[in-house]
Amino acid sequence: MIIRAVLTSAFAALMLSACAPSIPVQSTQLVPITATQQRFQVVGSVTVRLTSGYSREVRAGSLWQPVGTITQGTVLRPVSGVFTIEGRQIHEAYLVTKASTLVGFFLPGESHFSPLDPPQSITIERIND
Amino acid sequence: MTKLFKALVASTLVALVASGCASGPQYKEVASSIPTLKETQGRIYFYRSNSMFGAALQPSINLNGAPVGKSQPGGFFYVDEPAGQYVVSTATETEKTVSFKLDAGETKYVKTSVGFGLLVGRIVPSLESADEAVKNLEDLHYVAAQTTAAVKKAD
Repeated sequence: MIIRAVLTSAFAALMLSACAPSIPVQSTQLVPITATQQRFQVVGSVTVRLTSGYSREVRAGSLWQPVGTITQGTVLRPVSGVFTIEGRQIHEAYLVTKASTLVGFFLPGESHFSPLDPPQSITIERIND
Repeated sequence: MTKLFKALVASTLVALVASGCASGPQYKEVASSIPTLKETQGRIYFYRSNSMFGAALQPSINLNGAPVGKSQPGGFFYVDEPAGQYVVSTATETEKTVSFKLDAGETKYVKTSVGFGLLVGRIVPSLESADEAVKNLEDLHYVAAQTTAAVKKAD
């Protein structure tokens, strides 16, 4: 029974890694903001399920810095560490938020926007150092 | 017969270990001699943990399509590149890439690890945080990069 479960999950992982669809992307243009020390903290963890089948967690307490805007919202880069999203390929990703909603991700290595479907609520607060 | 089989397995394992793992100086021995970055460049470290699982798989690591080194168990190397957009790929059964932006003065860390494949294993690159990477690098061995000329812009 256990062996069957292990084999099934291993097979599922294999299929996901081998056959995951590409994440959807749209062309976009980042308008950088002037250098700022402003930082934001994510108040509650947000688990994101991507259309590729993978999921990612935006951890509570993680710090993010605004680096610019795109048509879809404000672009927030992690202050320390890296954040990636994954489909067939792996992409470094910044958060894109609009009015307390995580609407998708900006992919700085490709200058693309990847929409989150559906958008998810996210609570961030400004940090005063 | 059993003895012969055991001897064969043991000798295969020894040969694999002898040929498969990186053997240069450890990170902690060379860390102080790694040069500081030029103003306009960033640094990308590539590393792979010292695991025997899939040790025979040692594909080239490509940066924007240009080979910069090999994924070797227990090995690491780095390249200094101009700020820009980069894609790392490895040449195995299926190609999994990781794309990222490198800023001037920034250091990025790319880990390669063995993943399952449909027919054979494959080497998958991933982007790691500095905290995690530096912990892993401590015990790894330096292997020279092939080139630092991967300046072709990502498509």
